[in-house]
Amino acid sequence: MKPVLLLLLAAAGAFAQPDHFARELDEAARVASVMLDGDLCRQVVTPRALEYLFRSDPRDRYLAGDNYEVNHEAFNSVKKTLIRISRLVSFPADANLWMPIAGHPDKIRVVIRNAHEMSQFWPWGALYQDMIPEMKTVLETGRRLTVTRKPGWISVLAPVSDSLGDVVAVVEVATQQKPDTHENVK
Amino acid sequence: MKLSILLASALLCAQAAQLEVWPAHLCTGPDGAVVAADRAAAKPASLAYPAARAGYVSFQVVATLRAPGEYSLELAAAPASGLQVDVFREWYHRLNRPQAYYPDALVPAAMPYHSRLPEPDNRIADQKSQAFWIDVWISREARPGEYPVSLRLKSAEGDSEVSVPIRVLAAVIPDRDVVTIDHNTYGSSWIGGLYPREQERQGGDFYRSDAFFRLIHAYHRIFYEHRGAFHQLGYGHAGQVGPEFAPALEGSGRNKRIASWELFDRHYGPLFDGTAFAATRRGPSPIPYAYLPINPEWPASYLWWGEPGYEAEFVNVVSEMERHFREKGWTATRMEMFFNHKKRYMGFPWDGDEVRFPEDNRYFLEYGRLLRKAVPPDSPVRFVFRADVSWTMEHQTKDLAGVVNLWCAGGGILSWYPEMARTVKRRGDTVWFYGAPPGMSQVSAKIAESPLRAWLWGIDGYVHWQTVEAGPDPWFASDGGGLTLVYSGERFGIEGPIPCIRLKIQRDAVQDLALLDSFKSRRPLADLRSEAARRFNGSRPEDWWSQRPAIADRPAMEWTEAEMSQASAPLQQMLRKTAPDAWSNVHAFIMQLAEEAK
Repeated sequence: MKPVLLLLLAAAGAFAQPDHFARELDEAARVASVMLDGDLCRQVVTPRALEYLFRSDPRDRYLAGDNYEVNHEAFNSVKKTLIRISRLVSFPADANLWMPIAGHPDKIRVVIRNAHEMSQFWPWGALYQDMIPEMKTVLETGRRLTVTRKPGWISVLAPVSDSLGDVVAVVEVATQQKPDTHENVK
Repeated sequence: MKLSILLASALLCAQAAQLEVWPAHLCTGPDGAVVAADRAAAKPASLAYPAARAGYVSFQVVATLRAPGEYSLELAAAPASGLQVDVFREWYHRLNRPQAYYPDALVPAAMPYHSRLPEPDNRIADQKSQAFWIDVWISREARPGEYPVSLRLKSAEGDSEVSVPIRVLAAVIPDRDVVTIDHNTYGSSWIGGLYPREQERQGGDFYRSDAFFRLIHAYHRIFYEHRGAFHQLGYGHAGQVGPEFAPALEGSGRNKRIASWELFDRHYGPLFDGTAFAATRRGPSPIPYAYLPINPEWPASYLWWGEPGYEAEFVNVVSEMERHFREKGWTATRMEMFFNHKKRYMGFPWDGDEVRFPEDNRYFLEYGRLLRKAVPPDSPVRFVFRADVSWTMEHQTKDLAGVVNLWCAGGGILSWYPEMARTVKRRGDTVWFYGAPPGMSQVSAKIAESPLRAWLWGIDGYVHWQTVEAGPDPWFASDGGGLTLVYSGERFGIEGPIPCIRLKIQRDAVQDLALLDSFKSRRPLADLRSEAARRFNGSRPEDWWSQRPAIADRPAMEWTEAEMSQASAPLQQMLRKTAPDAWSNVHAFIMQLAEEAK
């Protein structure tokens, strides 16, 4: 009887842990929606860099990346807010900024990443990628969403609005239940 | 009658097992024929092996059987005193492109070596020949004279023996290299990937285990033994630091400090004091260079960038590092503050690596100021500020003079600026250039090109930007090996890296250059350079530079890839013609000088 009880208790603990992660991330994401300034987020990447984003040249495969640039002040201001948001939780987590691309509703791009290099969605090195359905939902509904698509990962996606009330970005507050401190050092 | 004797002899020869000697620069395939890349050079009529002391001389032997069967290879006699012989079996990699077999990885073969053809693990159905790489180490104490190195092939088809005369010269290869050949890599996760069995043995603690640190040290050792350096960058593009690359930190703001040196010291202690190299033929020596973990997110949090807390955190921790290094006596290694991040990876707003936007230089100035504040001016610890530069190097070397003092420059663009290289060298900075290793299907001498170029240019070294990424299946579906110069030995029961032919040829070239440069005391350096270039490919030293192109006067932002390629085209065209025996010709010149030196 006792071993069974212990097993049940252990299982309950194991299930409770993700809830604890999700709860804290959700609260941080809620704060992120309040704290992040959508108008400022829009200023991070320069119009010139956005213009190059989809340009390709068979003789210059790094054309878009080589011309990627940001507005330093806007970048730093938003990044610092993201760092503060990630510190709201009691475990290592990152808050990443994602934005849609005007004229390309089927694409999305990560704009700012952070120190643990945690994201459930970013394929290393991508300047932009196919729209992530859950992010599309957040952009369209303005509601937070918890995503546990990759085993061991939890991301809470939250809307970022501008001064007109339009949802212009998504913040991903992400953690890995067992952080891999080597995987992302590339 | 005579005809029948001749025919019988021919038949006997055709049936006999054969052991042939080949020079290091002519690689052969599993059919025993020279690989396509090296066919442009003829096999020398006579093979002579003059060799300086405190170095290696290399050649290959190829064992051929007419029919599948067992064989053994052995040293026919013990090497003479002062000589040591290492034998490696050459692995034939099946390349995806071109579809062909090329030898590259070298599997240590203990003598006597027993196996069969086809070699069971290499899985080449019609394999008739097996090549072996022979390294002969000639110690500093070896007595000049001629010593044979003899090898014997035994098989059911008969025996075959070769004897290679090694002529040990009085000349001694200097310990110090005239060019640093660096082998770069990123992080440590690749180690787990290359050693899955070892990782499994260690369980979840692999990255804190002694086995893990032994592997790291083994990588340093193999490059050191091949007269190279090894770099592992310990952080990612958004600032994630691998735990073994940095001391653990605690606190914030003025209270930020180092909490533990445990992993850092296990990693770097034996490298900085040289004990990791105690059992090597070159002897113990601290590593010459190491990346520090400093990046925009470490040790100071980027949260405080531009505020007093950033400076406080940076200076506190870097000052502690300086004290720790000083107290440990780690003063031989150049500790590099180096920024590798690019803004395209969305971690930070500026490029640390290959600055293209001139406004990014202000960050370098600020970090230079912080480093000066953290490190006492009279510190014996050798902190250096390294920058990897390309588009804007001409401006950066002016704008960051006195701030950055280790320049790692893209080779194509650096070739436009000989005067810039000279100026930077004159003020005492270190200059390297970077590129990638040639793939195994390129001519064998290609790997010697970059060390030679660095020496002809009068700069300090060359960096292979990535040297451990052998691809998903290097053994049976190789991508050509253009990003690796060592392989995991795990499939052969070796928990550590094994070398390759290209690494061996590069080592031989680097030791040759060290010896050649030492002759400048009796012949003008310019003459030595001229003759080396002529022997290599019939060029002149000035042919190794490009003309400064018109685009250099325009902002780098406006340059196109096509314009940049065009600007370096004549140099690239010249280097496309490198012959398989190019280095062998330079080596012959150096040996000639060495013989004259006695």
